[in-house]
Amino acid sequence: MKISAQATILLGAFLLLAGCGEDKAPEPVNLTQRQASLYQASCHTCHTVPETGAPQSHDLAAWKPRVAQGEDTLLDHILNGFNGMPPLGQCIECSRGDFIALTRFMAAPAPKDTEETTR
Amino acid sequence: MKFSRRHFMLQAAGISALAATGTLPGTVTRAFAEAKQEALPWHNWSGGQSCTPERRAAPAGTEELASLLKTGPAPLRAVGAGHSFSPIVPTSGTIFSLDRMSGVIGSDPTTNEAAVMGGTRLGALGASLAERGLALNNMPDINKQTIAGAISTSTHGSGANIGSLSTFVSGLRLMMADGETIDCDADNNADLFQAARVSIGALGVITQVKLKARPLYKLKRRTWVMPIDDMLEEAPKFWRENHIFEFYYIPFSGMALGISNNITDEPETPVPPQTDDDSLEELKMLEEWLGWAPSARRWILQKIMGDIEPEERVDYSHKTLSTERGVRFNEMEYHLPREKGPETLRKIIRKIEDNNLEVFFPIEFRTVAADDIWLSPFHERESASIAVHRYYKEDYKPYFAAIEPIHRAVGGRPHWGKLNTLTGADFARLYPRWEDFKRIRNELDPKGRLLNDYLKGLFA
Repeated sequence: MKISAQATILLGAFLLLAGCGEDKAPEPVNLTQRQASLYQASCHTCHTVPETGAPQSHDLAAWKPRVAQGEDTLLDHILNGFNGMPPLGQCIECSRGDFIALTRFMAAPAPKDTEETTR
Repeated sequence: MKFSRRHFMLQAAGISALAATGTLPGTVTRAFAEAKQEALPWHNWSGGQSCTPERRAAPAGTEELASLLKTGPAPLRAVGAGHSFSPIVPTSGTIFSLDRMSGVIGSDPTTNEAAVMGGTRLGALGASLAERGLALNNMPDINKQTIAGAISTSTHGSGANIGSLSTFVSGLRLMMADGETIDCDADNNADLFQAARVSIGALGVITQVKLKARPLYKLKRRTWVMPIDDMLEEAPKFWRENHIFEFYYIPFSGMALGISNNITDEPETPVPPQTDDDSLEELKMLEEWLGWAPSARRWILQKIMGDIEPEERVDYSHKTLSTERGVRFNEMEYHLPREKGPETLRKIIRKIEDNNLEVFFPIEFRTVAADDIWLSPFHERESASIAVHRYYKEDYKPYFAAIEPIHRAVGGRPHWGKLNTLTGADFARLYPRWEDFKRIRNELDPKGRLLNDYLKGLFA
């Protein structure tokens, strides 16, 4: 069966419209090998232990209201500390870029396997 | 000579390419990597201490740590969780963590000893020891600290017959400012052992410790409310009769919250929700609304506290002794001759309530056993510890200045990680082995590379 060019355009437009107004499904975020090691040495201590009260890694519902505050606010919380979290998020060697990457990683779904944690 | 950004980028690219080919010596490569590190300020947990260090690092092993100590810009200061309120960490030179040098290395079930890396966090240590069927004899209220940081400041829990965490150490490995390591225990380098177990990062970096633990055990925790006068009257009986006992006084309430922990074989009970932070917010709100009317505030607090039923919880010690603290504060804690504890707390309460000082944080009363460590605040003295706190956004100085003379009048020694105004001369009067400690310190770090301004004021 041949689909005309006109039909293809219409179908494409329909799919585009259908996509409007819906949140794009969040994608896992990968870390560099160095950032993965920073994550293990620092963030992992609290963000994988529910008793700490910290939003847990890859718990999208817990991260949603935090992400909604914007990355500038989250970065400010990390640099200056927030509630139980110490300033610099207990990562003495992280850069601003690392903090943003690590936050995006924790606020996104878990990579399918551990090898996907790093790129 | 001026450099344009483009000129700098070209230079950087050239240096990187050379480094990649291995034609640059390691020191140059390292120096280049260090030069690229962006400056970020460091604050402690409360925000009361801060600095912008030239270099931030987390060495991945003893070689990297040795190199850092030899070549990093001074002063070189290790940071754990940033839970010290006193200025022992801030540096314009190098700040570093031992987060990459952490974990339990081994344990011996016959002696109940465990070898632990210095950067191991207390929370993780409790869980790791439990996997090996072991537990520490006590834990502090907060478990974010590293074991090296906790023992360096004589961090403690409560228990009339239990010493600070420093007393659990049966041996340690210290890396000195020149990058060399030295081991010490009660038999080998015994003087160094007595000095290093509480040394505020002034002798070297504690990279490993051997800890005396005990077989894994459960505690039955009981909390109850009673009038402060009765609590102070009965406190000596409570600390004698319980494995662990402490209490909090709620300012302007006339009421205290007692907490006891005793070893048990009873089955674990469900973990109750953590409500301490919510309770603090309520106390803060009450102070804001009724701070001007102490009698009304007292009436309401007594009404609320009078309705609190005693509670019990059974769990493994590492799960029940420490608490998550989400509300930040600054703290002053003094350790007093134990018999002076109740009377001193009465004076503190009168000072606060007669002068209607702005306070809502509970006042903490604990006990700690005596030890023989040179700079331990519990040196040859059974102690009672009294801690006052101030919300981190409020100026702590007027409150602490009003309370500190009460502690000092009875020979109080401050916690090394908590706020105080004592000088080197004051400490010299309080610690009989002060000069011995200074002598060893000068031998190990003659150039003073480990001393920040605060520590120079004490030891140099």
